[in-house]
Amino acid sequence: MLGLQGYLIISTLLFAIGFFGVLLRRNTLVLYMSLELMLNSVNLALVAFSRYNNIMDGNLFVFFIITVAAAEVAVGLAIIVALFRKCRSLMVQDLTRLHN
Amino acid sequence: MDFISNLSHNEQFLIILLTPLVSALLIALFLRRRGTLAMTVSVLAAFIIMAVSLNLLIDWNGKAFESSMQWMSLGSFHIDMGFYFDHQAALLLFVVSFVGFWIHVFSLGYMDDDNSQARFFGGLSIFMFSMLGIVLANNLFMIFVFWELVGFSSYMLIAHYFDTKEAASASKKAFIVNRVGDFGFLIGIVWTYWHFGTVNLVELKHMVGVDPSLIVAGIAFLLMCGFLGKSAQFPLHVWLPDAMAGPTPISALIHAATMVAAGIYFLCRVDFLFPAEVKNVILWLGAIMTAYAGFCALGQRDIKKILAYSTLSQLGYMAVAYGLGYPGLALFHLACHGFFKALLFLGSGSVIHACHHEQDIFKMGGLIKRMPVTSICFALGTMALCAVTYTSGYFSKDAIIEAAFLKNRSVYWVVYGAAFLTSVYMGRLFWVAFLGKPNSEKAANAKESSIFMLLPLIVLATLSVLGGYTKFWPQEMDDVFIHQLHYVYETIGDLGLDPAMLLAGIAAWALGLLITFFFYHPGAKEDRLEQKARPLYLLFKNKLWFDEVYNWYVAKVQDRVANVFGFLDLALISGVAVRGTAGVVGLFGIFFRGLHVGNLHGYVYWFLAGFVLFCAFAFGFL
Repeated sequence: MLGLQGYLIISTLLFAIGFFGVLLRRNTLVLYMSLELMLNSVNLALVAFSRYNNIMDGNLFVFFIITVAAAEVAVGLAIIVALFRKCRSLMVQDLTRLHN
Repeated sequence: MDFISNLSHNEQFLIILLTPLVSALLIALFLRRRGTLAMTVSVLAAFIIMAVSLNLLIDWNGKAFESSMQWMSLGSFHIDMGFYFDHQAALLLFVVSFVGFWIHVFSLGYMDDDNSQARFFGGLSIFMFSMLGIVLANNLFMIFVFWELVGFSSYMLIAHYFDTKEAASASKKAFIVNRVGDFGFLIGIVWTYWHFGTVNLVELKHMVGVDPSLIVAGIAFLLMCGFLGKSAQFPLHVWLPDAMAGPTPISALIHAATMVAAGIYFLCRVDFLFPAEVKNVILWLGAIMTAYAGFCALGQRDIKKILAYSTLSQLGYMAVAYGLGYPGLALFHLACHGFFKALLFLGSGSVIHACHHEQDIFKMGGLIKRMPVTSICFALGTMALCAVTYTSGYFSKDAIIEAAFLKNRSVYWVVYGAAFLTSVYMGRLFWVAFLGKPNSEKAANAKESSIFMLLPLIVLATLSVLGGYTKFWPQEMDDVFIHQLHYVYETIGDLGLDPAMLLAGIAAWALGLLITFFFYHPGAKEDRLEQKARPLYLLFKNKLWFDEVYNWYVAKVQDRVANVFGFLDLALISGVAVRGTAGVVGLFGIFFRGLHVGNLHGYVYWFLAGFVLFCAFAFGFL
C-alpha cells in the first residue's frame, strides 16, 4: 500500500510534469494537456486527503472540479480548433498577434 | 373669462409666466421659417398675458401673495423658485403686460417687410418671459436668473440686424457692460445669503424689520451695481444709446419702457436693504445723469439716439426719487415713463418705417402733413415727457422735482435744470422733424402707417395724457405711490409754494419749447447749434468722451492684463498641468508596451512572477 505520502508525491510529480510542460512545450494542444494534468494532480491530492481523513468534503470538491473541467475542456478545445482554422498553426512561436 | 377666474392665484401666475416661454419654444423649434405663424403665436401669447394679468389685477384682493417651491438643493443649500406678488409687482405687471402687448401689435406692422420675423418674435416672447420672471420673483437668486435672461434677450434683439457692424458691436457692448454690473450684483446676492442666511424677499424684509442693524452698506452697494448696469446709469450708461441699433419696437419695449426700468423696480423691491449713504450715492448718480443725458441729447441727429438719451435722463429722475427715499414716486414715474416713452419710440418707429429707415431728424421735416395721426400722438408723448402741465409726465416728474426741493436743494437745481433741458431737446426734435417742409426725398414720400401701428400709438397716447391722474389708478396703488405723491403735494402746499412750483414747472417746458422753436426753426436742414457754437456742439456730440476713455482702458490696461493671464494659462495650465500629466502617463505607456512580447511563454513567466510576488506578499515577506 502506498499511504497518503505516496499519493501526495505522485500528485506533486504530476503537477511538476504539467507545469514544465506548460513552460517548455510549443504545441498549444500539448500545453493544454499539461494544464489538464496539473488540474488532475490537484484532484488526486484532494481525493487522497479525503480518503485518509475519512471526510467526504474532498470527494465532493473533486466531483465539482471534474464536472466543470469537462465543460472547460469542451470550450478550450473549441477555441484551439478555431485558432487553428484562423492561423493554420498551433505552434506557440507562430501565435504572436498580441505583440504590441 | 370665468374659467380664468376659477383658477388660483398661483395657477394664474404660472399661466402668465409660462405662456411666453411656450410661445418662444414653439417659435424656436417649429416656426423658424414661418414668419407669419410665428407673429401670430407671439402676439397671441402677449394677448393671453395681458388678459390674464388684467383679470388677476381686477380680482386681486389687495393682499400680498407668496408661494414658493424648491428648485434645487445642494446639501444644506437650497434655491427656491416662487412668486411674490404685492402692490409694486401689480403695478409692474400691468405696465409690462399692457405696454408689452401693444408693442407686439405695433411690431406686426413695423416688421412686415423684415425677412427674419420668426427670430424677432421669438425674441420678444423670451423677453416677456424673462421680464415677467423678474416682476414676479420672490427671491434674489430667481431675480438674478431672470435678470440674466433679460440681458440675453436684449442682446439677441439688439443684434437683430446682425449683418450690420453697428448692431453687432452694439449688442456685444450691451452684454459686456451689463456683465460688469451683474458681477457686483451676483457678489451682492451671495453676500446677502451669507449674511442673512436667506435671499427670500419676505424673510429678508422681516429680518431687517426686526433688527435694522443687520443692514450692511457693502451689500447694498453691490446690489446697486446690478441696477447701474441694467438701468444704464453712470458709469455704465454707455451701452443704452448704442442699443438703438436694434429694431425700433425693441427700443420701445426693452430699452425704454420695461427692461431698463427693471433696475429701478429691483431697487424698490429691496428698498429695506439700502442704508441712507448708498441711497445718497444713487441720488447723486441719478441727478448727474438727468443733466448729462440732456446735454448729450442735444448733440444727436438720430431720432432714436435722442430718445435714448432722454430715457437715460428719465431713469436718472427715477434714481433721484429713489435716492430721496420715495420709491413710490420712482415707480409712478416708471409707469408714466413706460407709457409715454413707449409711445415716443413707437412714434419714431412709425416715422422711420414711413421714411424707409431714415433716422436723421434734419432729413425729415414736414411730417405732420403726411402722417397726422403719428405726429399728433408723438406730440402728446413729447408733451408728457416735457411734463407739460396736467399730462402724466407733469404729475410724476414734477412730484420728483418737488420732492428734491423738499429734501435736497442742490439736487433740486440739477433736476430742475434737466427738466428744462428735456423740453429743449424734445422741442428740437419735434420742431425739426415734424414741422416745416420735407428735407429729403424719403420724407416727402412718407405715408401714414398701417392700423397695426397707429392703434398702439393711440392707446399709449391716451394713457400718456391721462395716466398721471391718481383717480385712474385702483385704490390698492395707495400703498405704492399715491400716499407719497399726496405727501409731497401737501408738504409743498403747507409751505405755500404750490403756485411757485406750478409756475416753475410751466416755465421749464414752455421756455424750452419756445426757445428751440425760434433757435432751430421748424423743419431746419442744418443744426444751428453746430453752426453757431461748434465746440459746444462737439462736446455734446461726443458725450464727454466716455466711450473713448473706456476704449482706451480696454485696449491699454485690460488687454495687457489679459495677455499676461493668457500667457500664464498657456504656460502653466495648458503646458505644465495638462500636457505635463499627459506626457508622464505616455511614458508609462511606452514602458508597459514593452512588456507585451506577444509570446505565450513570455506571459507564462509574467504570470509566474506575479504568483511569486503574490505569495511573497501573502506570507509577509514584502
